[in-house]
Amino acid sequence: MILLIGALVIPAVTGTALLLSGRGFRPQVEGNANTISLVASVLTAALVIATVIVRPVLNYSWLPSLGVRLHFAVDGISAPLLILTAALSVAVVVNARSRPSHGGSPASFYGCLQLVELGALATFFARDAVIFYVAFEVVLVPMWVLIARYGDSHDLAARRDASGRFVLYTVLGSTLMLIGILALVQASGTADLDALAAAHGAGLARHTQIIIAALLLVGMGIKVPVWPLHTWLPPAHTIAPTAGSVMLAALLLKMGTYGIVRLAIAPLPLGFAALAPAFGVLGVIGIIWGGLACLVENDLKRLIAYSSVAHMGFVVLGLSSGTTVGLQAALFANIAHGVVSALLFFLVGGLKERWGSADLATARAALREVSPRLGIALVVGFAASLGLPGLVGFWGEFLAMYSAWNPAPDRPQGLMRLLVIVAVSGAGLAALYSLRVLRLIWFGDRTTPSHEDARGGEWSVLAVLIAAVLVLGVAPGLLLNSTFKDAASITIGVSR
Amino acid sequence: MSQAVVSVNAGILLPVLAPAVGAAVVLVTDVAVQHLRRVHYVIALVSLVVGALATFAGLGMVGGSARRTLCLPGSGLCMYAADSVASTLQLAALLAAALTLLLSWPDDKKQSPGGTAVIVSLVLAATAGATAVAGARDVGSWLVALELATLPTVALVALRGARSAISGAIALLTTALVSFGLLALSAALWFTATGSGFLTPAAGLVAINDPARRPILVLAVVVVIAGIGFKLSLVPFHAWTPEAYDGAPLPIAAFLAGVSKIAALAALLVVIRAIAPLGAPPLAAIAIVSAISMTLGNIMALRQNGVVRFLAWSTVAQAGWVVLPLAAVSSGAVHASGAYLLAYALATLLIFAVVAAMVQIRGAARARDLNEYRGLLGDHPVLASALGLGLLSLAGLPPGFLGLVAKVAALRPVVTSELWWLAVIAAVNAVLGVAVYLRWLLIVISTPDASVQAPAPKVPDGTSPVAVQAVRAHPATLVAVGFTVVALVLTSLNPQMLVGLLGQ
Repeated sequence: MILLIGALVIPAVTGTALLLSGRGFRPQVEGNANTISLVASVLTAALVIATVIVRPVLNYSWLPSLGVRLHFAVDGISAPLLILTAALSVAVVVNARSRPSHGGSPASFYGCLQLVELGALATFFARDAVIFYVAFEVVLVPMWVLIARYGDSHDLAARRDASGRFVLYTVLGSTLMLIGILALVQASGTADLDALAAAHGAGLARHTQIIIAALLLVGMGIKVPVWPLHTWLPPAHTIAPTAGSVMLAALLLKMGTYGIVRLAIAPLPLGFAALAPAFGVLGVIGIIWGGLACLVENDLKRLIAYSSVAHMGFVVLGLSSGTTVGLQAALFANIAHGVVSALLFFLVGGLKERWGSADLATARAALREVSPRLGIALVVGFAASLGLPGLVGFWGEFLAMYSAWNPAPDRPQGLMRLLVIVAVSGAGLAALYSLRVLRLIWFGDRTTPSHEDARGGEWSVLAVLIAAVLVLGVAPGLLLNSTFKDAASITIGVSR
Repeated sequence: MSQAVVSVNAGILLPVLAPAVGAAVVLVTDVAVQHLRRVHYVIALVSLVVGALATFAGLGMVGGSARRTLCLPGSGLCMYAADSVASTLQLAALLAAALTLLLSWPDDKKQSPGGTAVIVSLVLAATAGATAVAGARDVGSWLVALELATLPTVALVALRGARSAISGAIALLTTALVSFGLLALSAALWFTATGSGFLTPAAGLVAINDPARRPILVLAVVVVIAGIGFKLSLVPFHAWTPEAYDGAPLPIAAFLAGVSKIAALAALLVVIRAIAPLGAPPLAAIAIVSAISMTLGNIMALRQNGVVRFLAWSTVAQAGWVVLPLAAVSSGAVHASGAYLLAYALATLLIFAVVAAMVQIRGAARARDLNEYRGLLGDHPVLASALGLGLLSLAGLPPGFLGLVAKVAALRPVVTSELWWLAVIAAVNAVLGVAVYLRWLLIVISTPDASVQAPAPKVPDGTSPVAVQAVRAHPATLVAVGFTVVALVLTSLNPQMLVGLLGQ
């Protein structure tokens, strides 16, 4: 239990202290702030790994008047996401050692990163539906500050627009989710996520389940994001600083899909089954939409943001299949996208700083020639992104399509198979845009204007992520085995 | 012999008596010794603290238990009953009044001698009205107490004497008169419908069960909602709010936003609880008024560039949230409404305290202009952080967990009653509210870069704080800021501290 408290208190205290340390305090010096948050992130990561092994439970009454309990625990579904969160929180700090932030005091920058980590960890630890909502909201303001203050310094208006869109869309989503949560808690009489999942919607009428599931899916669909609710994502990613983009793509989007599994699929099987076909259709539209946008997009950061929309489409397709394989595929694709998008955003963030912009139309020195380390990271990142077998991106998307081809008995098989056929062509689009990017910036023999290769913190982060892409690609069982038991217990109710 | 008329327990009445006696003592002292300032404030603060301590006995009581007095012999009917909700609202009103006085203290140097006693006694009188209306259980004292809470504020707004103050006071006075007319009408209708002068569920039930009298009761409740709508600044009865806030001295605007709103909600809750068995028809009026108030308040607040007008429109929007749970037929609605009001009042008073400190540091003109807060985080990190916490609490976003919990509590009865349309409007307004408050927060955390002119030479880091902080805020104001910040931080970490006061 002390492990769990520590894993939440360390980022909370470090983040608040860094934010409040005014002018003249020592943490204002870039190096000090970095060291403090590095120590904090590493400690937190160690505690998170310990909680994943020990599986402690914290259950404490916080707000008896509303029946809200501080209930935190770890299971097979949240464990991989927790490790991803903790690892990437260390990675963004290490990366910032060689690529410092701009735009405001470094202490606030690192403070906000710590608070984002806190929110993500609390979301994945939470076992109480209302606490889940509260934790979901914790990431909002720090991420808004990261985009609004530390974002792309070229355009103030764009920064305001991107940060405003991010926060307003997300608040709309989370408030709808809150209404859904309150309705769910009211209808089923408990806010305990384990009890909700174990009940499999017993005692809830089908139309009640549909209304609640619709509120939850729209609410969390904004966060995922599901087409057509994705329009906040590209500007936010484009404007955010590297650390912000990484946290946003690799962690915040996962909170949406994780919430759908916990709050919609597990406790509301009938309601989700009714909405799943429409949900799947939107996911597949997202795959095609994202792929097409990537074919013509000239801003590299925005391109990766659109590719995120496409990748999350596969997650949505897996979720809507209603099978254990589909659920596992979605959870795997979640982690895979977390690793790959983190790799690409670290890389592109670094490139943008070197180039001064992320415009693909400008002629650059070929990465293959002047910076082989960045080059290999780019090749691995986009190869994983297009779903090349043997890399991490393959398994999630392959299994998602496999599961949708053989969906649960209560799903319309014809429609689901049609969706798979369309999704396959979406995967083809991914190959096209990946190769387009590689041709534009990796391939060729231009060597001017030259730029430095990745070194130190930046290279170590990229190297670790490349290794993760390869290891999980070769041995997907590491992850699939850990989620199997809990995923199966959720879908037992679905195919009942 | 007195036992034969009504029983009086002064201990139970102390939350009302303390500020009332304090007002009298201040006036007497002023007659005895003139040109005093500090003594008046000390007397007033002591009386408010005594009143606040006296409410403790009623906090957190469960069920329907209440501390009753002024009871009629034989019938068991009491004109005054302080249950946990009423006691909590009394405590909030007394503390909010104390904060108002702390803000008013440094402001007072400009007042003419003798003015201090008048201002202090008016604040105390209005506070006594606010605490009395929370406990009132009969139509007569309910009406008188509510007017006692309102009329002194007209004088408080007008006393500054500036043209804007006069126009604000006239707007407030007109509103108060219309509102009084409506409330007197509703009192008459209540008496006609129920045949009882007491605002109790038993009296309400008599009229509900009689088909001939039921419409009169519904009409009475709708008229009450209109009458109190004026005092709570609910749309379409809100028009006086920006005028009066902007015209009044800043501490008085804080009083209007704090104590007056607490008094108005306390009055409304007395009626709502009496008609709880009546169900939906009059509550639909609350739902509509609530939805329009939030929407219009937020949209107008988005367009304001003056700090006080911004806060006035924010009050309109927040008032919509305060009455939102009352639109639902639910046992938790009254508690939810009270919890939201407490969260709103605490955060709003914190913001007023910060603005008051800014007035002392930067002067009224700059402190009342939203755009002058650019770069505040760099110049005054503590005040800026406090302001940020207050704004985020109003927006209902972490780290303002209290506001977040209040939002959850307010939405819950609406969802429980399956008022989906109202829930969705509330969700949209949660977004608008975030836009409103983050707009100010963005200004606060921005760096004062190229887009701003340089009135004073902008010195690089290290030297400028010294130059700017040469003028410090008055200690009383800093106490007010500190008290509200500590209260907001503690209740954010453990919202049960505040929500639990209201009882179960």
